[in-house]
Amino acid sequence: MKFRAKISSKGFIEVFIQLSGTVAKLAKVCVLRVCPDKLCFSSAGSTPVRADRLWCEVGRGALFRQFHMEGVSEELNEIYLELTSEHLFRAVKNARNAASLKLQLTKKRRPCLTVAVELASCTGHTRVVVHDLPVRVLPRILWKDCLKPRVRACDVSVYLPALKTLKSIVEKMANMGDYMLVEANRNGQMNLSIETDTVSIKSYFKNLGNPPESTLATPQNRDQERMVQVWVDKRKLLQFFEGQQINPTMAVCNILSNTLLHLVLVHEDVSIQYSIPAS
Amino acid sequence: MVAMLKCGMSGSQVKVFGKAIQALSRVSDELWLDPSEKGLALRSVNSSRSAYGCILFSPVFFQHYQWSASVKINDKDTTFNLNCKLGMKSILPIFRCPNSLERNVEKCKIFTRSEKCKVVIQFFCRYGIKRTHNICFQESQPLQVIFEKNMCSNTLMIQPRLLAEAVVLFTSNQEEVTLAVTPLNFCLKSSSEESMDLTNSVYSEMFVGPDEFDYFQIGVDTEITFCFKELKGMLTFSEATHAPISIHFDFPGKPLALSIDDMLLEANFILATLADEPSRASSPQSLCLSQKQKRSDVMQSNSKADEKVTSQALECLSRKAAPKRLYPEETSTNISVAANHGSPVMKRTAGDISKVPESGVSDTEEVFRSPYLRKFSCMFFGAVSSDQQEHFNHSLDSLTRASDSDEDMNNGSFSTF
Repeated sequence: MKFRAKISSKGFIEVFIQLSGTVAKLAKVCVLRVCPDKLCFSSAGSTPVRADRLWCEVGRGALFRQFHMEGVSEELNEIYLELTSEHLFRAVKNARNAASLKLQLTKKRRPCLTVAVELASCTGHTRVVVHDLPVRVLPRILWKDCLKPRVRACDVSVYLPALKTLKSIVEKMANMGDYMLVEANRNGQMNLSIETDTVSIKSYFKNLGNPPESTLATPQNRDQERMVQVWVDKRKLLQFFEGQQINPTMAVCNILSNTLLHLVLVHEDVSIQYSIPAS
Repeated sequence: MVAMLKCGMSGSQVKVFGKAIQALSRVSDELWLDPSEKGLALRSVNSSRSAYGCILFSPVFFQHYQWSASVKINDKDTTFNLNCKLGMKSILPIFRCPNSLERNVEKCKIFTRSEKCKVVIQFFCRYGIKRTHNICFQESQPLQVIFEKNMCSNTLMIQPRLLAEAVVLFTSNQEEVTLAVTPLNFCLKSSSEESMDLTNSVYSEMFVGPDEFDYFQIGVDTEITFCFKELKGMLTFSEATHAPISIHFDFPGKPLALSIDDMLLEANFILATLADEPSRASSPQSLCLSQKQKRSDVMQSNSKADEKVTSQALECLSRKAAPKRLYPEETSTNISVAANHGSPVMKRTAGDISKVPESGVSDTEEVFRSPYLRKFSCMFFGAVSSDQQEHFNHSLDSLTRASDSDEDMNNGSFSTF
């Protein structure tokens, strides 16, 4: 098994830092699945149905200048590594000004994902910091628990407003109450509400637009104006938005009435999906 | 005459002063204000006596500086300095945002009112605003470290910005960090002792080339392990002073000194280092660190036994076994004591041996009642008294025995911080 990848551009390093920050916030332990054409980060293990689920994909060409992998075998050309997400984030978070960021699967006293950050110091010298993150190589029997979640049919799908705006509104509202109501309709409208005994706050977003409906995903003949709702834990929503600095090229919110909130962010070849079950 | 301090600073001086207090707050929760003719020293020692910080502001740092010692009329006419100990909780919030203090404060006055045991800090700010803080102090003799940094075999000098850059990249979860040097390179890495036990810990390593240092002299290849937190505290302060940081050290077990010397102030942080060397075969007892533990202490017995003993919360400055004469028989008693007692720092040991008389030590420091600890402490610490000659003849017996010649303080063979 081999894996070696290198990011050499500052902008891409920034994207990777942000991605590992998101993963660290949403999945304490994550599974890194190394495929010949991409890397996937997901919540670890077989998560129970009621739990939130994260899935990130980074295409090989998206960030990496160099990418080389050899999986478990020729037929099963993938590697599944389980690691503590916070370790990865801490190793890369100060690498903003690095000249390069290298990931490599190594075996020191135990299997490690080695992160090497190369920095040009103020004196013109280069300096390399190396972090060995302990990983567990997952045996094939556990691979089925770490597959990409199936896309469930949803009742409504709407584009999200600008993340920065959304994030600051969610942050301010999140000070009250524990649960937030997210609702949207097929007319490009989305509302967020929060309620306590003494106060209720509602934010209205209009003209967001809806992604084109696929015939499989959504049933027809639904009223355009009807709001589809789901109540979710505000902390999970907040954690998802925290740390999203880069504006995605596409941001979608899918709601399955009173069951699931599914958020998708896509930035070129990097995608992040997060499903929050209803509370 | 009563001991007192009275000084004044401008806004930008307050910023440096505030940063000094912040750096010392990382060492411990208590701060001594110790004025003398050399200037105003701020001192701090951590509860386990494994870290000591002292920042001495020379009289020329201040806009005005006045101090006096009190004189007790008795047959000896002994003088006493201002023995002023403040809680960090009281003084730290006053200097909370040094940068904004620099902007808003035009003048700051600090003076003591000994009869009320109070320190008064007054800020004269813009728009005619005057802010006065009164802090009660405890009468307590400050501790002082005696450490001969010029006699260390390894000395490095580096611009604080370089070291800070390097340290920021090195974000390890572990409290301890190991510095490994050879004449050709400098490596900062996670302490291998800690990472051995924790199966889920990250190991980090960073090299800095010798040419990045202003001065790089390595006499002895060595690997020493010390607490990262205190290094970071020193670094944030150094960025305020723009002077290079010197690092002086020798072998594991001997303390490490971090110093800044600019014309107006002198800062010294003395940190204990682990006395164990990873390369040596260690006995099973040595260094069983649990995740929550801070630095384990390692006590050295005499060199032929070469045992290392760990005790949960016992942390001390320790010395390698080689200078055996510093540790006569009492060490074996003390080791068993150390093993049995959870925290000798707080407890009094039953051991009776101590060559150090009471008089050299402040009565208010309970920890010094422990003869074992006192052995170590007095190696490096001495209570400050204005009658230094007499003081050193008493409390530094152990030290003078160790040195080859009978030099006393005044010969300057030991620099006192």
